[in-house]
Amino acid sequence: MTQMLAILILLLFLTAGIAAAAMLDRAIPALVAGRPMKSSLSAPFAVAAAMAIAPKSDTEHPDRVGWVLAPILYFTLAAVGLSVVPLSPRLVAAPSEVGIVLWGACEALTVVAVFLHGWSANAPLPLMGAYRYVAIGLPAMLLSMFVLIGAALPAQSLGLVEIVESQRDVWNVVRQPAGLVLFLMLGLSVSLRGPFDYADPYDLAGGTQAEVSGAARLSWRLARLAMLVSVSAMTATVFLGGYLGPVLPGFVWLALKSALVLVALVAAGNWFARMPPARMMSFLWLALLPLSFLMLAAVGVELLLWG
Amino acid sequence: MAVRLLEKSAPSAPVSVFAAVGAGSRGRVERLFYDPRLTRVLSVRQANVLLVAGSLRDEDHDDLRRLHDQMPPPRATVWWGSDPIFGFDDLTTIAVEDDPVAAIVAAHRALIMVERASEPDLLPNEPANPWRGEGPHGQGGKGMMGGTPYGRPMAMTNDDLRDGLALDAYTAPFGPFLPMLPPGLKLSLTLQGDVVQKAEVLRPPLAQHDDGPTRALRLRRVARLLRILGLDAHADRLQDASRASECGEEVDFAKLRRLVRWSGALAAIPPGLGVVDGRDVRSRMRRWLDELGVQRPDPADPASSEQPARLVDLLEGLEWTEAILVINSFDDKALLAMAPVEKEDGNAEKGEGEHHHHDHSSRDHHSAGHAMNHGGGGSA
Repeated sequence: MTQMLAILILLLFLTAGIAAAAMLDRAIPALVAGRPMKSSLSAPFAVAAAMAIAPKSDTEHPDRVGWVLAPILYFTLAAVGLSVVPLSPRLVAAPSEVGIVLWGACEALTVVAVFLHGWSANAPLPLMGAYRYVAIGLPAMLLSMFVLIGAALPAQSLGLVEIVESQRDVWNVVRQPAGLVLFLMLGLSVSLRGPFDYADPYDLAGGTQAEVSGAARLSWRLARLAMLVSVSAMTATVFLGGYLGPVLPGFVWLALKSALVLVALVAAGNWFARMPPARMMSFLWLALLPLSFLMLAAVGVELLLWG
Repeated sequence: MAVRLLEKSAPSAPVSVFAAVGAGSRGRVERLFYDPRLTRVLSVRQANVLLVAGSLRDEDHDDLRRLHDQMPPPRATVWWGSDPIFGFDDLTTIAVEDDPVAAIVAAHRALIMVERASEPDLLPNEPANPWRGEGPHGQGGKGMMGGTPYGRPMAMTNDDLRDGLALDAYTAPFGPFLPMLPPGLKLSLTLQGDVVQKAEVLRPPLAQHDDGPTRALRLRRVARLLRILGLDAHADRLQDASRASECGEEVDFAKLRRLVRWSGALAAIPPGLGVVDGRDVRSRMRRWLDELGVQRPDPADPASSEQPARLVDLLEGLEWTEAILVINSFDDKALLAMAPVEKEDGNAEKGEGEHHHHDHSSRDHHSAGHAMNHGGGGSA
């Protein structure tokens, strides 16, 4: 019963989150560009409608099954990842004692969905986007594993309810602020955004999206937004105390915190420059991964001494 | 019911336009998309209307036809300060000095209302070349690789320039309408993954005669680099500022400079990239940025010296994004001097046909080839 309720609330959460993300995706670039923001509320729906009825394009010998499956897989991963997020200690759509492992699997499989999308078009620029994403996605996801283990250590559990409960005294963002920053970078990477958008960038004419139009393109963009919502909720749960908060019901707190993370992610995606992939590779392997490992060690030492 | 709702809200969305830019038109095309009724798409596959701006060379005509055929119907073409080429009918032509926005919106509306027929394909939908594979299954090449089925080379293993790791190398033409390349520039690139192994200029960029105020010009150049660095909103801001400065409005250059600095754009560019006369991409961009508000002509270009650097030499060994950054880090004059044609495109297509036989192919059949010619399927 509570599980059904949790599923319903999460569906609502995902839908509202996608709509909000689509509006933010108009409003924040308009703010940076100094252009009027007033159409940000209605424009996403008009654009989505125009895309839905636009004709589908075709290439020579595309992998048709893969082309259809890629956005479905991507969206499904976002939904499955979101399902382990607790709305209260007992209100979880998919109760699991190893919630962050399931989330980690969704992150890793995102690489497959994105690669499939670029591969299926059977054209060079989408394929380049696909390969690039695999190269950058792998170290980005390794990073998030270290960060998540760092969050799981104080809870002595891989379950998300326990991780939230371990934050009753102090949120994980205080314990490891750098971990939050690293996890936000992962958020940009799994939702193909701004400085970490190596799959669909301008210099590849839209990368994996370059050959896609109409409803197929709309579904890909919806899946990207769904993943953004999902990673926002996960960040809020792991670092910002999830459903914890006074007076208001737990899921309202979760929604508010997720919204905050969502705004931060969209803003960061529009604010920071993207390095060419080779430079980003060195940055990830030589700077960020060692940093995340040091942080993990620091959390361990802290728990040994004072835990 | 749902479909009705979609059809009702769709027309209020901006018209998706793919711009095929010819000579002397880049600036006015960039200014055009200030209008909220239009949105510029990177791939012609996502376009409702193809906008042809400025004059094209004869060699570009077939590329334009192929580009047109990749646009999914219903489709329309609008010619802005450009002479329609053979094959197109139901012409919408706009003079250079007129604003084409109303005509583009009207053409799109007429397509939706089915008052205007969608343009038919211009090229036959069949392979450009006969199947010339070898072996029992016509696969050609060695084992499962190589060969030139339908006149297009399959990837063959080659050593990576950087570490000698054996990977597939693939040769294809890119341009002349790709949005991230200067208009008219058509390159033949041998790519290994996304690393350029060999580059040749098939057609030089088209002269842009951009002799407007240098302040506005510099803003647009910086904006192009920002787009490659993933900073679309910043680029829009600079482009709007460029438009404002051309209209004689006040522009806060210091604020723009700060905005770009804070984005980390300069730090994102690897040092030592595309060095010419001791300056790399980063320092060229920094110079443009420093001189944003300065109203004086560009300093003497390195390319105007006796022995201009060759663009193709700069590109070899670079990864795709780095190569695109290098190409966009020169002003039009310098780039023209650095990009002499070494290999005739036409000859290449006949002589070494295996590399460039994308002509007269059609939409479905050769779209992989199209994708390269026009940019990602779009891209002109």
